[in-house]
Amino acid sequence: MKLAVFVSDLTLTNDILSRLKKDNLGIILVQNGVYHATNKVDGKTSALLDQAPKIYALSEDIQIRGMKDSDVDSRVKVVDYGGLVDVIFNEFDKLAWF
Amino acid sequence: MGDVKLSFVVHKPQYKGETSRLAITHAIAYQTVEILLDDGDTVTPTLCFIGEGVLGFDKDQKAMDLYGITSTEAHLKNCLLVDLNVMMCKEDMEKYGISEDVLPDADEMGADMKVQVVPYAEIEKTMEEAQHVLFF
Amino acid sequence: MGTLTIGCFPGLVGSMAYDFSLKLAEAAVDKGHKVNIWFSGNATGSVKANQKHLKDYSTGEKYIKTLLEKGVEICTCEACTVARGVKKDEGIEGVQWNAMHWYLAKIHGSDRVLQIGGE
Repeated sequence: MKLAVFVSDLTLTNDILSRLKKDNLGIILVQNGVYHATNKVDGKTSALLDQAPKIYALSEDIQIRGMKDSDVDSRVKVVDYGGLVDVIFNEFDKLAWF
Repeated sequence: MGDVKLSFVVHKPQYKGETSRLAITHAIAYQTVEILLDDGDTVTPTLCFIGEGVLGFDKDQKAMDLYGITSTEAHLKNCLLVDLNVMMCKEDMEKYGISEDVLPDADEMGADMKVQVVPYAEIEKTMEEAQHVLFF
Repeated sequence: MGTLTIGCFPGLVGSMAYDFSLKLAEAAVDKGHKVNIWFSGNATGSVKANQKHLKDYSTGEKYIKTLLEKGVEICTCEACTVARGVKKDEGIEGVQWNAMHWYLAKIHGSDRVLQIGGE
């Protein structure tokens, strides 16, 4: 199952994401989820970045917060809305929003 | 196109937001979807409750008496009445101290279906077999 | 080209997830994909016509009209909408009103489905 999970918050209120099989999992950071890619918490990068082989962050949601695409962790690929459409159709077959 | 399997995964508890209840009512809508589909096409949802989504299904709810709204219990019974596959995550029920005995059935309404309490692995399997997953 | 169906449940005012839904829909239709949007829950309040666009708040009507012009099918859950006091004759022209099976029927013909829950 090629599942992409949209993460829209910095604080995850449940452990559902960690239960999903990592092999074909993708994480798409949008809205406040982009902080996983840009900010360290207590000096540590987000553990979320280790939970999937493919991680994307939405450029518009980085820039609206005054940050730059270059601020993201090297494991994260930055895409705009058009790029996100391509990711949705070409990289995954199921989508989930958290 | 034939049958399309859907996995509805509810991870938010009932009685705070509207989303977790809308998951149930949207799943029930499968019974009338055929009027908008071509002959032979069907939709088969499985309604799965995981995490905090297992909360809010005890028997004897007083939602109508106290808040004037349909109870989750009544919605769940309607699911069983229309032969919807309903699964509750066993591990999460244990985590929150919920006994299988408190779950309602719809026997008095003539339903054949029962709520199934299953390991998470079983719910994961429905997600893998479904064409689409919808998280609520 | 494929078909994307978006289930949008968050409200127009108070959640940027609503804006996300519409922007994703536009990006997809601009790339040649077929797009369907199902409004349910608080998102249904956004189908009322004559919205005043104040710059502190997201705009729904203007965006919805643009998407309709581009061929996006948009439908609002009738029960959710009337429960919020919006009557059909007050709605934005071109937005469909139907029951939840509309969403399931669109999903049936879709390659990708993104269900965005509210709150």
